[in-house]
Amino acid sequence: MSGRGGAALPRLMLWSGLIFLYAPMVILVVYSFNESRLVTVWGGFSTRWYRALVEDQQMMNAAWRSLQIAFFSATAATLLGTLAGIVMARWGRFRGRTLFSGLITAPLVMPDVIIGLSLLLLFVSLSRWIGWPETRGMLTIWIAHVTFCSAYVAVVISSRLRDFDRSLEEAAMDLGADRLRTFLWVTLPLIAPALIAGWLLAFTLSLDDLVIASFVSGPASTTLPMQVFSSVRLGVTPKINALATLLIALVGIAVLLAGWVLHREQQRARVARSASGD
Amino acid sequence: MTANTPPGARDGAEVAAAAATPAGSYLRVVGVSKDFADCRALEQVDLEVGKGEIFALLGASGCGKSTLLRVLAGFETPSEGHVILDGEPLDALPPHRRPVNMMFQSYALFPHMSVEKNIAFGLKQEGLRRAEIAERVVEMLTLVRMGEYARRKPDQLSGGQQQRVALARSLIKRPKLLLLDEPMGALDRKLRAQMQIEVVDILRRLGVTCLMVTHDQDEAMTMAGRIAIMERGRIRQVGAPAEVYEKPSCRYSAEFIGSVNLFEGRVSEQFPDHLLITSRSLPYPIRVGYAALVPDAAQVTLAVRPEKMSLSHSPPAQAHNKLSGVIERIAYFGSHSAYYLRTPSGQTVRGVLLNAQRQSGPRFVAGEQAWMAWEADAVVVLPA
Repeated sequence: MSGRGGAALPRLMLWSGLIFLYAPMVILVVYSFNESRLVTVWGGFSTRWYRALVEDQQMMNAAWRSLQIAFFSATAATLLGTLAGIVMARWGRFRGRTLFSGLITAPLVMPDVIIGLSLLLLFVSLSRWIGWPETRGMLTIWIAHVTFCSAYVAVVISSRLRDFDRSLEEAAMDLGADRLRTFLWVTLPLIAPALIAGWLLAFTLSLDDLVIASFVSGPASTTLPMQVFSSVRLGVTPKINALATLLIALVGIAVLLAGWVLHREQQRARVARSASGD
Repeated sequence: MTANTPPGARDGAEVAAAAATPAGSYLRVVGVSKDFADCRALEQVDLEVGKGEIFALLGASGCGKSTLLRVLAGFETPSEGHVILDGEPLDALPPHRRPVNMMFQSYALFPHMSVEKNIAFGLKQEGLRRAEIAERVVEMLTLVRMGEYARRKPDQLSGGQQQRVALARSLIKRPKLLLLDEPMGALDRKLRAQMQIEVVDILRRLGVTCLMVTHDQDEAMTMAGRIAIMERGRIRQVGAPAEVYEKPSCRYSAEFIGSVNLFEGRVSEQFPDHLLITSRSLPYPIRVGYAALVPDAAQVTLAVRPEKMSLSHSPPAQAHNKLSGVIERIAYFGSHSAYYLRTPSGQTVRGVLLNAQRQSGPRFVAGEQAWMAWEADAVVVLPA
């Protein structure tokens, strides 16, 4: 029969797709444990490059700086993006609504180079006219990241709010909660997953950004992607592999954790439902 | 219920006004209209509901009944008119300040809160002491028989259980007016009949004034003491279920509730105690058992309910209120059967016979010639 033969092609396609996606990462991880100084030549197992990475003060500083920027950018972007998302989803038809939505979502499709360049010009002009910001550094990177991350958060939040059951909010108001309490006690807890998703998205976008940060950073504010990029230009060492492996591990653990929490929640609901006998 | 409403009055609104004044009206809706951008959802609605009454707004979807409910809850602001509850105008009050609670069609239970938190929500907004809230929540849980599910989340409950929680949540603040939006809409048929009785039972026990919205006539008739039939933003008729069914005031309410045979005719003779009407589609005159307030030679519509029809093989002795035709189709419903008689003029007339009664009487088969007859009292005169 053609049963196995028929499944062979799709299976082949599946595996080649997965290999295409994950082989580079597997290779990267494997070579991070390479003893050899040459990235592409296997010289036996070792963790020396991890030690070298930890001892690389410059790299560690850049990583810490990037994490800080990402944390604060994500937080501010979530705040601003949520407000914008609420306006987009809830404010009904006000004058200039289409323009507003367009302007909010424009950074999603704007090339990073343009965003970076225009922000750089802005900061330069500002410091010339009003003397602020005096120098470019973490603050300017933070401002730049909040600017474009807010757009992503706004889109995530507004799409969540659009399929939000309005009668839940009406029920809260009907039961005596004013607008603020309704938002805090009903709307906010229910869109919390979207808030977390938006925050994580903003965090990774900020952590990942090289182009915009390169434009608006100053002398003492090299971020991790900038540090990696410049050191790679001087030649790739297995140290970069070690760094990348750590990042993959970090992201992987976070994703697994989120999946596990979500799965457990669903499992509990299912068990309770079947126990109630309906 | 006012039984002395003039039957078959010309104007539906007249009947509505006459029937809608029970002693001490508690909720008064006065001339409420609501315009949306592209349509008028409510058109000069007047309504009075007595204290402790269960009142149903009945109508097809899009007739404005839900809009009226939302006006009462405060979610919509009427374009014109006023709403007065227990002597207090509600117009200026936002939803969270109104002594009105609503049970939503989808129940709108907060999915992130347990059953008891859901029920307690309204009282928490009032800032009551924790002990008192807990006490009243337990009281409510007992009332709706959900005590053992207090810590469940809404998605762990069946439809009927969710409805009980929603009901408890909307009752815990002891509202002056309870609004039910399609209360049984989300339940399956079997459960519906059971919950209708259960909900009415609870409402009666608490003596709460209740306005419900439904498109299901059975639901309105089993649950409500009085019914208002709505069509295109207007109230067409108000009355007790039996009154609305037996004495519809217009074609719309006659056709909306139950099924009905309609005949077009012209008033030929008026007497102090009855009318004679001739119809072009019927060979015999129709006798109406009461004097209606209609001008001579007025064009009218006559309504006769199918269960008022009697069926026979031989021509009835009476000189009027009869017709003959061929039995076109017989539909069997278990407890009763419906007979469709096609008259020579081409009209199909429906008659319903209880099957218990059929067993003892003559049998009819599709295709044979038969007669239908009805009493003069069974005819309702409607404006044409």
